[in-house]
Amino acid sequence: MKKLLLSTALLSMFAQPAFAATGQANTSAIVMFLVFIAGTMVITWWAARKTQTTSDFYTAGGGISGFQNGLAIAGDYISAASFLGIAGMVYVSGFDGIIYAIGFLFGWPVVMFLVAERLRNLGRFNFADVTAFRLEQTPMRVLAASASLLIIALYLIAQMVGAGKLIVLLFGLEYKISVIIIGTLMMIYVFFGGMTATTWVQIIKAVLMLAGGTLLAALVLMAFNWNPDVMLAEAVSVHPTGAELMAPGAAVSGNPLNALSLGLALAFGTAGLPHILMRFFTVSSAQEARKSVIWASSFIGYFYLLTFIIGFGAIALLVRHPEYFNLAADGSFDMLKDLVGGTNMAAVHLSNAVGGSLLLGFLAAVTFATIVAVVAGLALAGAAAIAHDLYANVIARGRSTEQQEMRISKISTLVLGVLAVLLGIIFEDQNVAFMVGLAFAIAASANFPVLVLSVSWRGCTTRGATIGGFLGLAFATIWVVLSKTVWVDVFGNAEPISPFPNPGIFSIPLAFAAIWFFSITDKSARADKERDAFTALTVRSQTGIGRSGAQEH
Amino acid sequence: MQDTVVERVLKHPKYEELVKRRTRVSMIFFAVALVIYSGFILTLAYMPEVFAQPLGAGWTMSVGVFTGILVVLSAVIMISLYVYVSNKTFDPLLEEIVRDVE
Repeated sequence: MKKLLLSTALLSMFAQPAFAATGQANTSAIVMFLVFIAGTMVITWWAARKTQTTSDFYTAGGGISGFQNGLAIAGDYISAASFLGIAGMVYVSGFDGIIYAIGFLFGWPVVMFLVAERLRNLGRFNFADVTAFRLEQTPMRVLAASASLLIIALYLIAQMVGAGKLIVLLFGLEYKISVIIIGTLMMIYVFFGGMTATTWVQIIKAVLMLAGGTLLAALVLMAFNWNPDVMLAEAVSVHPTGAELMAPGAAVSGNPLNALSLGLALAFGTAGLPHILMRFFTVSSAQEARKSVIWASSFIGYFYLLTFIIGFGAIALLVRHPEYFNLAADGSFDMLKDLVGGTNMAAVHLSNAVGGSLLLGFLAAVTFATIVAVVAGLALAGAAAIAHDLYANVIARGRSTEQQEMRISKISTLVLGVLAVLLGIIFEDQNVAFMVGLAFAIAASANFPVLVLSVSWRGCTTRGATIGGFLGLAFATIWVVLSKTVWVDVFGNAEPISPFPNPGIFSIPLAFAAIWFFSITDKSARADKERDAFTALTVRSQTGIGRSGAQEH
Repeated sequence: MQDTVVERVLKHPKYEELVKRRTRVSMIFFAVALVIYSGFILTLAYMPEVFAQPLGAGWTMSVGVFTGILVVLSAVIMISLYVYVSNKTFDPLLEEIVRDVE
């Protein structure tokens, strides 16, 4: 516990000089931020006493209710990237921002109708438990762990870089220091409090975020007499693109196939994201898992509607405040190019414009909390992939003790924390926007097909799932590396090799087809046994009889 | 021991009904979700002019923005309906099976 106090002290020590240096700091933001840190430390301290077993560490002992889990999932989902990012996208291109939000949201019907309840009935700690239920342990765990760790690394980089930049602006801290603070806080939550602390931090943050978003959207609408159409009319009249704001624009007109491909990856990726799937093991039963989805999707859908209002409201209102823009010599500004901190800060400036520094401080603190909480969830899913899949089930082949697995997962947490900080610093000046898209593409083309077919198709075999999963993973990764976002923008080549950046439209069907083909041609005795085991799997997935998890106390 | 539980479940008269009905219901819901979502994506990709029209005379809001809001609501409504159906028809069946088998 001493460590906790120390790091908080360090925090405030770092804080002082940096604030003075940039003058960006906002006292209410810092006070609320410190209150939040203190609160979450108390939770971590409380959770640490309850975290004894691997089940406590990975899944909070399975004792989270459906409503709480729904909030936590919503918290994971409404990350700073999706709140600030979607508001920023609406601010820049109106309707196109809505497309992303809908893609993210439609992952939820897919999760609900295809995987949520079966997942809870079949698995214990993470989704690899499910794919390895009747298929062979080693290849399934290695596949799940490789895809998961890659997804987590990409997500971590995107969050750390985005977060670092944000904190530089909000609190006036130095970039490296803000990245280190995020990494340290995350390690404390996960290392001491495991899933219990991570979940409660996420729940509190989700509530604050929903409250803050509601207030902000309400203040915006109030400014337009509660008439959204008046707000839109004002937005169209001041935005450089005018009425095009209301129509599908640059994001799709250039290449409809790319839009389609992106849409597929967004909708099917959610059902393959390791840190989201892991949350389904924190509830006690399939019924509670079902409740989690309804709460999660309601909160997420509601929050996205708020984000649309915030994005369009920012267009209509920020233009009245030249103080939020970097002005040219003659006092003029381009509302898209000159916004202080870039267009991702549209929502933050808007909170200042309609709610003053108090609301700004509140949103800034909540946004910071969001990043730490999302990063903590990612680290936990990464630790599970290393300790539970690779170590306990592949290297030790199930012969390790619970204490050993726990130790490995804690060491993994520390390593991932350090790695996250390092990656955050290395990628500081890279454009990392493509990384979340790539993470979704890998989740949709490797994890999702394997998960769905292994629980719902009798014919699926280890050979089919392994080849199909790795093909999807490799295809999606190589495609993105050869696309404009990496091949040209990062490596500096003249021409991209992939015709458009999003691989989903090819990689997802490819993975499904490969799993099918290499399964039906698998004539081995092992494959026959696996097909026979499908009956037992279905009984368990449908009824939950014999499931593990919450009862282990 | 585990095998006998599985066998008992398999022999239960309600088990097949549960699996069949539940599979059908989730497939129908999934298909509807897919139609709504792909309809939205295909329209904006290949017929953007449909979405660009204003909702009506005197409106700034376009058909696309309005549809987008409806699509968001439809996801939540579909999930709620699914949970309602599950609670009402599948849970009683399931409880019966679990009670008889365990």
